[in-house]
Amino acid sequence: MFTRKPKFRPIDAVLILLCLAAGVYVAYRVKYGLEYRSDWGAIPQFLFHRDPATGRWVPNYLLQGLVTTLKLSFWATLPALGMGLVVALFRTSRNLFLRMVGRTYVELIRNLPPLVLIFIFYFFVIDQLMPLLGIEAFIRSRSIGAQTVLAILFAEKSLFVQFVSGVLTLAFFEGAYMAEIIRAGIESIERGQREAAYSLGLSWADEMRFVVLPQVVKRVLPALANEFINTIKYSAIASIVSIQELTFMGRQVVVATRYIFETWITVAALYMVLTLSLSLATGGLERTLRTSD
Amino acid sequence: MNKTEYDYIIEIENVSKTFTGGVEAVRDFSAKIRRQQVVVIMGPSGSGKSTLLRCLNGLETPDNGAIVVDGIPLDDDKHHRLEIRKEVGMVFQSFNLFPHLTVLENVNLAQMRVRKKDKAAATQRSTELLQMVGIADKVNAYPAQLSGGQQQRVAIARALAMAPKVMLFDEPTSALDPEMINEVLDVMKVLARSGMTMVVVTHEMGFAREVSDWVIFMDGGQIVETGTPECIFTNPQEERTQRFLSQIL
Repeated sequence: MFTRKPKFRPIDAVLILLCLAAGVYVAYRVKYGLEYRSDWGAIPQFLFHRDPATGRWVPNYLLQGLVTTLKLSFWATLPALGMGLVVALFRTSRNLFLRMVGRTYVELIRNLPPLVLIFIFYFFVIDQLMPLLGIEAFIRSRSIGAQTVLAILFAEKSLFVQFVSGVLTLAFFEGAYMAEIIRAGIESIERGQREAAYSLGLSWADEMRFVVLPQVVKRVLPALANEFINTIKYSAIASIVSIQELTFMGRQVVVATRYIFETWITVAALYMVLTLSLSLATGGLERTLRTSD
Repeated sequence: MNKTEYDYIIEIENVSKTFTGGVEAVRDFSAKIRRQQVVVIMGPSGSGKSTLLRCLNGLETPDNGAIVVDGIPLDDDKHHRLEIRKEVGMVFQSFNLFPHLTVLENVNLAQMRVRKKDKAAATQRSTELLQMVGIADKVNAYPAQLSGGQQQRVAIARALAMAPKVMLFDEPTSALDPEMINEVLDVMKVLARSGMTMVVVTHEMGFAREVSDWVIFMDGGQIVETGTPECIFTNPQEERTQRFLSQIL
């Protein structure tokens, strides 16, 4: 009779014990070797604190940072997707010029360190593009009510231009990665599909809209969802241009209090909450897509 | 001459096609196809039959020569190409149904987007065609839920939905299990008898004998022999044709 191998073998137990031992050793070295006196009790006040004026509990630096990270990533993902789609269409176009434009954009982004890119692009955006679009004037001329809504959705008045610049920078950067995912999806569609669409007399736009892209979406959704997670992680580099997201706030707390380990571990945990819940959702999405096949 | 009275629906003159890499698929090929004719193109694999067929609706672009479909030259002019794509239906070896659309949506799509019909009119026409090919009970199924033979019959209905003047068939039964070949051939026979102009690349001798008006035997990208099915099958003149027929019989 066919017997299944046991799923948990003695060697697994040994490995787990080794991992645990390594963890304990690291914790021991941190506690006694580093001469670092940890004080976890100090951290919660940076998540929530009591507002002295009203006496109500309100989110403090770290949670504010988390919310900004979430907003930054969310608003950057939308233009990045649009940009990714357009560039992917450029890159799969028959037109040589469009292909060259798409290729140049993608290669430029992919072959530069994000940090270098954000310095160049962010200061171009905030110095040239924002005045051109009149973002500053736009936010200042809104009514108080509209400003409140915009503050909840994006950022408050004094940080609005900075925030929008950060969103655009991140989107410009992520767009290249999304473009490559969508391009791979378009190229994975069997040639016969496009030949059938061609033979039926469909225009290029209809061929894309009704035949190619619906199939592409299904194929690349898991990869795109993964890229959404990457956007959250990459949003940390926006801290370098003083956008007050989670990493920036973490650094502020560390500088002010010197609770290095406690703060960064808390920051890491907060990122995990965002990214892990997104990857669990992605996993669910993948299963749903698979069952409809 | 008035376009509708034009005698030949497809004229192929001195067409050549060489693929990158130097494979000469079609060599200096000329033929004329009359309205309502059923032409079968036969030949060993690699003889250029499929490439020739794909040239006829612009899926391949010939290096030399001229193709005129229903009085419209197939050239770089986008409008000419679009007209020809609308008037020439094509059925592929691998069906190429759109997997994310139901059977009905597959047949409706081009009617609505290219012929600009509304959904009700398109659905009515599609239902008739699906009835004709015997798939009326599967209109809401997805292609993956159908057998190969059923998929190919849907593909025929999809091409017919554009009301084409010519139908091209590129080895329509080669990817099918043997027991499904006849259900597809039967549909094609009905179509042939209804007066549709058809150009069929196939190895199905029975089909060629029964409904074709003209058989072209190709090898090495050229015509080896042409004639009525009786001539070609019972009394082939060329040694190459005889050898091929003795292999597939």
